[in-house]
Amino acid sequence: MSSLISRVMALIMVALIMVVSTTTIAADEEGVRFFEQKIRPVLVEHCYGCHSVEAQSQKKLQGGLFLDSAAGVAAGGETGPALIKGNAAESLLLKAMKYDGMEMPPTGRLSDEVIADFAKWIDSGAPDPREGNAPVKLKREINLEEGKQWWSFQPLKDVPLPDPHKPIDGFIRQAQEANGLKPNHSAAKEKLIRRAYFDLIGLPPAPEQVMAFVADSSSNAFEKVVDELLAKPAYGERWARHWLDTARFAESGGYEFDGFRPGAYHYRDWVIRSLNNDMPYDQFVKMQLAGDILQPDDINGAAATGFLVAGPYPGQITAKTVERIRYDQLDDMMMTIGGSMLGLTLGCVRCHDHKYDPIPHQDYYALAASLATTAHGPRTLDLDEVATEKATEKHKADHEPLVAALNEFSAKELPARFVAWRDKELEKQPETTRWQALEANATEAERSWLKVLPNGMIVHDGLLSPGANVRQRGQRRNVRNEESYRLTFSTHQKNIQSLRLDAFTDKSLPQRGPGLSADGSFQLAEIIVTAGPLDSLDPAAIQTLKLKPVFAAFEDDKQPIINSVDGNPGTAWVVRTTAKKDNAAVFELESPLAGFPNGTEIIVELKFVDMGIGRLRISASVDPNPATWAGDVSPQHMGELRAVAAAHKGEMPESVKVSLARWFAPFDSEMAGKFNPVRDHAAAAPRPNLQEVYTTVAGGQDVFFLRRGEVDNKQGKAEPGYLQVLWRSPEPSKPTASASAEHPRASMANWMTDVERGAGPLLARVVVNRLWQHHMGQGIVGTPNDFGFQGDKPTHPELLDYLAGELVRGGWRLKTLHRSILLSETYQQSHEVNPENQAIDPGNRFLWHHQPHRLEAETIRDALLAVGGNLDSTIYGPSVLDNTQRRSVYLRVKRSELLPVMTMFDAPEPTQSIGERSVTTVPTQALALMNSPLVRQQAEKLSARIKAVGDVSLPAAVQQGYQLTFSRLPTEEEQIMMLAFIDQQRAAAGGESPDASDRALVEFCHVLLCLNEFVYVD
Amino acid sequence: MFGFYSPGEISLPARRDFLLQAGLGFGSVALASMLQNEKTGASEIAEPLALRPPHFPGQVKSIIWLFMTGAPSQVDTWDYKPELQKRHGQELAGSDPKTGFFTTSGKCLKSPFAWAQHGESGSWVSDLFPHLSKHVDKMCFLHSMYLKQNNHAPASLELMCGTNRPGLPALGAWMTYGLGSQNQSLPSFVVLHDTRPRGDDQIWSAGFLPKTYQAMTLDARRKESIDNLVRDTRHSDGQQRSQLDLLRELNQKHANTRPTQADLAARINSFELAYRMQMAAPEALDLTRESESIHKLYGMDNPECATFSRQCLLARRLVERGVRFVQIFAGKGVGGDGSVNDVPWDCHSDVQTNHRSCGLHTDQPAAALLADLEARGLLDSTLVIWGGEFGRTSDSQGDKGRDHNPNGFTIWMAGAGVKGGFHYGATDPFGYKAVENKVHVNDLHATLLHLLGLDHTKLTHRFNGRDFRLTDVGGEVLKEILRNPVA
Repeated sequence: MSSLISRVMALIMVALIMVVSTTTIAADEEGVRFFEQKIRPVLVEHCYGCHSVEAQSQKKLQGGLFLDSAAGVAAGGETGPALIKGNAAESLLLKAMKYDGMEMPPTGRLSDEVIADFAKWIDSGAPDPREGNAPVKLKREINLEEGKQWWSFQPLKDVPLPDPHKPIDGFIRQAQEANGLKPNHSAAKEKLIRRAYFDLIGLPPAPEQVMAFVADSSSNAFEKVVDELLAKPAYGERWARHWLDTARFAESGGYEFDGFRPGAYHYRDWVIRSLNNDMPYDQFVKMQLAGDILQPDDINGAAATGFLVAGPYPGQITAKTVERIRYDQLDDMMMTIGGSMLGLTLGCVRCHDHKYDPIPHQDYYALAASLATTAHGPRTLDLDEVATEKATEKHKADHEPLVAALNEFSAKELPARFVAWRDKELEKQPETTRWQALEANATEAERSWLKVLPNGMIVHDGLLSPGANVRQRGQRRNVRNEESYRLTFSTHQKNIQSLRLDAFTDKSLPQRGPGLSADGSFQLAEIIVTAGPLDSLDPAAIQTLKLKPVFAAFEDDKQPIINSVDGNPGTAWVVRTTAKKDNAAVFELESPLAGFPNGTEIIVELKFVDMGIGRLRISASVDPNPATWAGDVSPQHMGELRAVAAAHKGEMPESVKVSLARWFAPFDSEMAGKFNPVRDHAAAAPRPNLQEVYTTVAGGQDVFFLRRGEVDNKQGKAEPGYLQVLWRSPEPSKPTASASAEHPRASMANWMTDVERGAGPLLARVVVNRLWQHHMGQGIVGTPNDFGFQGDKPTHPELLDYLAGELVRGGWRLKTLHRSILLSETYQQSHEVNPENQAIDPGNRFLWHHQPHRLEAETIRDALLAVGGNLDSTIYGPSVLDNTQRRSVYLRVKRSELLPVMTMFDAPEPTQSIGERSVTTVPTQALALMNSPLVRQQAEKLSARIKAVGDVSLPAAVQQGYQLTFSRLPTEEEQIMMLAFIDQQRAAAGGESPDASDRALVEFCHVLLCLNEFVYVD
Repeated sequence: MFGFYSPGEISLPARRDFLLQAGLGFGSVALASMLQNEKTGASEIAEPLALRPPHFPGQVKSIIWLFMTGAPSQVDTWDYKPELQKRHGQELAGSDPKTGFFTTSGKCLKSPFAWAQHGESGSWVSDLFPHLSKHVDKMCFLHSMYLKQNNHAPASLELMCGTNRPGLPALGAWMTYGLGSQNQSLPSFVVLHDTRPRGDDQIWSAGFLPKTYQAMTLDARRKESIDNLVRDTRHSDGQQRSQLDLLRELNQKHANTRPTQADLAARINSFELAYRMQMAAPEALDLTRESESIHKLYGMDNPECATFSRQCLLARRLVERGVRFVQIFAGKGVGGDGSVNDVPWDCHSDVQTNHRSCGLHTDQPAAALLADLEARGLLDSTLVIWGGEFGRTSDSQGDKGRDHNPNGFTIWMAGAGVKGGFHYGATDPFGYKAVENKVHVNDLHATLLHLLGLDHTKLTHRFNGRDFRLTDVGGEVLKEILRNPVA
């Protein structure tokens, strides 16, 4: 547009505005008068205190809202425009005055009259003559493109190496030289090995290990030590604890009642195992964000996402608080993901744009929306599915030769032996009783393990929790709540007329049973019996038998036995009040089961409402009117043998030979020798090792964008997405996850680890910094959980990028990174202090010496147990209390009852991600070392260890003590002081008696454990 | 500097010089480490308990908070509402059945107690407090307290830590963080409890502050009250003393070669301090050193209030010895209304029986504490606070009970720095909601910190990239209730 035209346009616009203005003046005069009389005084008295330019100058401005000018009213504050001209009902100002949502003024609600005046004023267009400056826009606009230039959000840089042979030392030396610092000499070997032991496995080296290393003059002596340590299971235990701090891991919900989560420890074990297996770090992160999706129904996937739900969660929830609690839980996940993985303070973005970092408010809800369908709870899964599968394979393989031997024997030997026995013995056998107890060939149950006893009794042998995911016969299934048993029998007898179900009590059952419900009851919804030929799989041949109940030992009028055969699973035969007693039901077949020529297979299905029967037996009878006679029972064998003998006088078919084996075995020891191994081996089939895991479960709901983080202030559904500042793709400028078919959490995991387009570079920098920090005493970035604008800048940015790049290029292997750090000269230098260096860099930012540091709470306790010689090195499993000798990583973490032995030495509160523990020195720690039973016991054990070495001369004992405790020999001066101390203690304890000597040695050991050198590693 | 026990008072001939040095050196070491802390934001605090100067001169040295666990009803204790008495059984206008934890009837429930005016201030008090009512002229009532949470643990968290979520430091932890400890032989923040209240360790937590600032808890049910205070029986004082002498010498040599490690020196001191704690702490906790008349005053001979009286007397002894913050969580009274031990004032089913029993349990000892502190001149430097985690509904739960109500409740303070016989703020005519001069917990905390000489906006700790405050982003000092608002 030419300048002339634009000028003309501007003039026209001005003219138009003037026209509009003049026409409204008359109407406004009345309005302004109203404003001056009714509105302005109220604003001045009740609102200007917090909402005016003056309030701003006194730092009292609230909500970014100015009510002392027309422009301020129009612009509004953080919650939006103060009013909508002409619409009082929808105006925030009026709502707040009515105490609807907001409550203004906070000192008390103004009178209805005043509120009515304001409504009138707004409805009439809110005339307002006040001029005055338009308020300063307080809100910082986030500029994402600028934000992406922040050092930690940039792609990893390819940096030239100052020294290609010693990459780490090259960078360190370069900075040292630039600052006039001289590198330290390397540490003494016994100090170095002690440092490496504590850093990598959190335990002191044994004297032999120190001696071997000192004696090893090969150039790779230290390398061998490092590799050895990285291969120890103790490495995972040590480093898991660092990660568990960042993951705010605990085993209870906190808040009201602090409910314990028995399956939460699987997450801790998963972390240990993953570190020991050197799982690539990107996978380690992905699994924690989406393991339940990436490896569904696998305990490793479930254990890993224990990360997401390890935070606190209230034990009592009301309708009023449920939604807020849900957003608190999401915030807990967001803060933990941000702090532990990205080094970002995402919690700051719940209510508004990040005050410092380029993270808009919307990004928080986009990321939170990715977590929308994430709820928490227990699942029951196989602890080691691979092992179960292997065991099953092996069982199958072992079973085959047994079956082959049985079949061969049955085919070749059985017929002749049976004929011989039949001719000689059958006649002498007793008559069968009217009830014959059927012996099951196979059993299956929905939520139980069943086994068959030799007398035909079918007994419950372990429960499966509903919801448990099990793999049986190659099929995965989730265990249902409703129990059902499927029992398979076979018979050669003809004309079966009735069936009987016995339910037995037993002291192993709840309330003695017979049901498995807590009160010993059971509810049988349906009993279904089918029969088919034993030698055919033809489904057409299978018939369903019609049952007519004729007797029940117990019946409730309202829930009688007939309910179990009415074909309606909604009704049941309920046996409740006779619990504690044996119980039975008898059914007549509507028409007798004629039976098939080569044997009949009978399948009895029992469908229960919830839990099953603990011990039961199915019997059959070939006699009519069973309700009239008492119940003598014997095994079905004799009936079967007689039936086979009657039906197959000559050559018998192969299928009959096989089934006959079972019935004949008790009468022929060689037959038994073939049959029993098959039966017993089948019964010993491996079972999955099912464990309860506390993890993510299905659930959750849509996430809404919340203005100011308030659940009553929803601004539409939030769509899953990522942090825009950590997204560098040419395509969508605003990254969304919903476009992909993946689960949003899986997309999030991919974004998190994507080095090209996503958060990968930052993820790598943050973890490299953590390793560096724990080895060197301080991170390259001093604020390990904050890589944002408020955090420290890296002391050695190029080194950080080099190591992060190496990590990514090397497949995210942390052990490789540990190795490079430990094998650097920088790591191996002495702790000693060069005064010149100290004068230049007192904070040791440029790492001119190795900074001694105090051991953490867990390491102090573990080291005490280790030097006392009684550390229990059992790995994994449910948590324990500190009355055990297990490593401290296994100590229970219950939020309301943290163990004093841990918190005293600064183990952190497990409520938020912790990247760096505080280190305090207080008298209660000294009290614990002086007086606690733990330390006293370890002093006694240590003294016993010293004595047990053999040479009990005192000087040798003192040396032993130093070697065990400090990995070195005492100096001559120390030796003299200690011997004098022992003498003095012995004299005080009564002189020359052996007891006095022993006690003096304990006091000496106690001193060793209290010395600074014990808890500070050089 | 060392409060009740100055180092010289303990007979340690060989160590006296050293201890004096250590004591003198204390402040400077601590200051250095705090400065370093501010500069780098790092989390090492070598001497976290060393005395630190306040932001301005404070008027309160110690606080005793009598926490009425389970939440008493404002309209049955200190907030007299004649309108509620009159409209018993009628609809309570504006009642919200979701205010509490369960649901309420919406019908006014009058207070079953007799009310009378007391003192020169003519303050109304129900007959639950025959003893405390004699002290109303010392009390500064905040009738318009409110908070957001409506269940015990979250509300206790909000009241003690400023927000409902666990992991933040409690008031007592912030106090020691800001001011250090007045007595190095005793912890600075002590919690006395019977059955542990809902929320447990989380409500007296040090949160993200160093664990040192966490409360030491004394369980009224346990004999051995402080862990590791007693030596192994086969370990004599002489043995321990010579061990400590040797330890100091060797540790000193170790520290000399590591001049950059300030915490090594601190650790040497900590053993000496611990050694003194072994003597000082049992002495402080030994109530047999009090006269019989004191025992009687507190009601220790009365089984109805024996536990609470022991706790109140202990609180006085601790405050006398420089402990900054003692918080007593009132345990169960006589009971009989079905309330639970960890929330004794929780009168869901029957406010009359419940409150009568809780009143009997707490009234006499609390009154004795005020009288005793006053007699010893300690009320000039000590602030006593009385209150629960929220209030109760003015409408009934069932026929005779009251549900939780965070929208309005009363707490009172008495002693140093606050006006006596003073009533601040008000609830509506039914006592249901705070309406006048509403006081949020942030305001209360700002005021308490102010009384201690701390500016609540300046008492901050950097954690995970943010400067946290006890008062989060809120808090106004309640100037009107201060005896000396300028200071």
